[in-house]
Amino acid sequence: MKGPLSYLQPGRNTKVSDQSETMSFIPGQPVTAVVQRIEIRKLRQGEHLILGFSIGGGIDQDPGQNPFSEDKSDKGIYVTRVTPEGPAEVAGLMMGDKVMQVNGWDMTMVTHDQARKRLTKKNEDVVRLLVTRKSLEQAVKHSMM
Amino acid sequence: MMQGVSHKLAMFCRTQTTRATIARGSSLEMEIRRGKFRRSVFLNTLQDSDIQKKIDHEIRMRDGACKLLAACSQRDQALEAAKSLLTCNTRIMAYMSELQRMKEAQVMQRVARRSDGTRSSDAGPMDDRLPCKGKVAISDLRIPLMWKDTEYFKNKGELHRCAVFCLLQVGGEIHDTDMVMVDRTLTDICFDNTIVFSEASPGFELRVELYSCCSEEDYSAGSAPRKLASKLSSSLGRSAGKKLRVAMDPGACSPTSNGGAVTLLLPGHAVAGPKYHLLAHTSLSLSHVQDSFRTHDLSISGNEDCSYWVPLYGSVCCRLAAQPHCMTQQMMSGCLKVKQLGGDPQSWTNVYGVLKGTNLFCYHRQEDMEANVEPAFTIAINKETRIRASEKDPHSKAQSICISNQYGGEEVTHTLSADSHEETHRWMEAFWQQFYDMSQWKQCCDDLMKIELPSPRKPALVTSKQGSLYHEIVIDTSDDISTVTDILTRRMQELELRSQLGTSPPWMSLFEESPGGPRTPRLARHSPRSPHRLPHSPLSPLRCPWPGLLSSDASLTSDSDSPCSTSPCSRHRGWAEPLSSPRFRPRTLSLDAKLSTLRGRGYGGVLQCSCQPPSSSSLGPIPAQCVPQATLSCSSSTSSNSSSEGSHSPSSLDGTPFSRPSSARRSLRNVRAKLDPRNWLQSQV
Repeated sequence: MKGPLSYLQPGRNTKVSDQSETMSFIPGQPVTAVVQRIEIRKLRQGEHLILGFSIGGGIDQDPGQNPFSEDKSDKGIYVTRVTPEGPAEVAGLMMGDKVMQVNGWDMTMVTHDQARKRLTKKNEDVVRLLVTRKSLEQAVKHSMM
Repeated sequence: MMQGVSHKLAMFCRTQTTRATIARGSSLEMEIRRGKFRRSVFLNTLQDSDIQKKIDHEIRMRDGACKLLAACSQRDQALEAAKSLLTCNTRIMAYMSELQRMKEAQVMQRVARRSDGTRSSDAGPMDDRLPCKGKVAISDLRIPLMWKDTEYFKNKGELHRCAVFCLLQVGGEIHDTDMVMVDRTLTDICFDNTIVFSEASPGFELRVELYSCCSEEDYSAGSAPRKLASKLSSSLGRSAGKKLRVAMDPGACSPTSNGGAVTLLLPGHAVAGPKYHLLAHTSLSLSHVQDSFRTHDLSISGNEDCSYWVPLYGSVCCRLAAQPHCMTQQMMSGCLKVKQLGGDPQSWTNVYGVLKGTNLFCYHRQEDMEANVEPAFTIAINKETRIRASEKDPHSKAQSICISNQYGGEEVTHTLSADSHEETHRWMEAFWQQFYDMSQWKQCCDDLMKIELPSPRKPALVTSKQGSLYHEIVIDTSDDISTVTDILTRRMQELELRSQLGTSPPWMSLFEESPGGPRTPRLARHSPRSPHRLPHSPLSPLRCPWPGLLSSDASLTSDSDSPCSTSPCSRHRGWAEPLSSPRFRPRTLSLDAKLSTLRGRGYGGVLQCSCQPPSSSSLGPIPAQCVPQATLSCSSSTSSNSSSEGSHSPSSLDGTPFSRPSSARRSLRNVRAKLDPRNWLQSQV
């Protein structure tokens, strides 16, 4: 069971940001963020493989309606719900997380449908997400001080 | 010792002066190089040492420029370095020739003294007046070009580019302008610099020289040194010789041969890099000075075949202004008694007079002048003024000065009287000098010309939005552990609120006031005590340190009971930040069940609410209450909203957490959702 402690361990964090205050990004500028790796094993339910969370957002969506984003122009993919006891929750995914990558595929500049498809590939049992959240950055900051 | 020295000098002088000049020049050069100048046999005056310092400085600059030229690889740098090199060389030559002139003047004096056997007066007889010096400024240089029409329309081939700059010289002062790249897209060469020469005499000669260098040659070190050496000598020969001639002319000696000049200047090593050539020149003098722009002719050297050729129209446009010191400085000041002729002989007014420019300002007191108070009255002193020293006034002991001016048709005369004879004499002297200066500076003394020095351009400040929170958040070492715990508590609150089920890091237990002591971190959903866990939530005891935070957000929380993001009125209220809520309730299966049943009844808007952070609800019964409220407030939401929920499937309907609605319904809603641009789709994966 991966507890929230995981994101305090430096080894799990891929990129440490020095300069980004928030997760907001400026189009055209490289994004740096403190991320956590979350590995979700899909659960087979009948003929479906499910992960147990819901996503919102996308470049074709209205970012102003995103309750989780700091920057209301952020068109990234956010986790809007995590089903309790689902594989996502078990893996440590939290509501409000912004999904940066799925199995290496970028999720910061995708449409909603593209994002959904990348998560629900039938031949993949495991999805490895890179997610970022505000508390991550602050945790690293605090642990570094 | 002195005799011996002068004897030697006399010996030199008796021989041909030209040869002596060269010999002295080279020995001077050698001595300068070896730094032995101070120990030389020649007497050092203050002026000599000044020039010496300047020469040393320029030699250092030149060495630096040479090194830079050798080291730099980029064309722009090389061009700039070559420009500095040329300027340094020119300056050195000017200083050296000035030094020589001074030496010769000294020698001449000593010789004259010796031959006379009497002490003649110093540096020019008393009778000869020297005009005051002044500031000469040249600005807004513009040199029009005349490209052939074939050049304009030439599209093939590289753009022929030249680097040009101007060298401006007045006596010993040499300044250079910035470098400008010229190609066929330019119609004029414009130099924005304003160059001010501070000590120019009225008979000044401002030499403007335009140098250019082709910017396409290869200046790599691989060039044959032979070719460079020949270039070096030839270019120096032509331009250096010209300059030498000009520099030597005012002096006592005739121009020297070029060969001497070249050896004088040739540095120890061959200088690689771009070479500037004289393209055009002209000389400006007092007659060209005007308070506006004027066009002057250029003498062009070089022709089309030269690599550094730039097709000049043949003229240069610039603004040449001069401010003689007599116009800008106080030439004389002192206490005076002024009487206006025709008035009461007794009515002498005591004033503090200041002679400046074309006026004699009379202040009541000296302090007034310093305080910039308006003068009591002003007497004009200009070309039309007539001044004469009157005979001894029977009423006063000293001589008085009569100043007559024509105001309109009337002649007004003021009589000035100073305290003593010497004072009067000094004032007369000042007036004579002023007249002389005005006659020398001519049109510059009509009105004060403006010389504007452009303010130094500050480099654009690039304010990059740097500074991460890492740097912003500071914890003083003086802060005690409580600050750290406060921060941790805050973080912890965030964690708690984000997490739906209250999974907490183990260290959170340190803050819990649970009667059972620290307990092992476990997912609360497994614990039957989870509903009761709330009162013991770590938040409660720690609510005190952050009353502000919680209370201010409490309003948000209460509003979040009726959340609906798409309804514009409650947009911001609805989507309350998860962080802000002081209370949260872990979403349990029972809640999900309740929500799904309600959903099944078609309360589409409710589903949005279910996405809400659990902070919106408190304990069990309340969600049920809030839901209908939510429904009502969401009724204004668009149908697409509900359809968006179609793609969003709730968790439990009948106990199994992961059921989905029928696919048909889903696809219909999907389509509707996707077609609506005002949506924020959510998909379950």
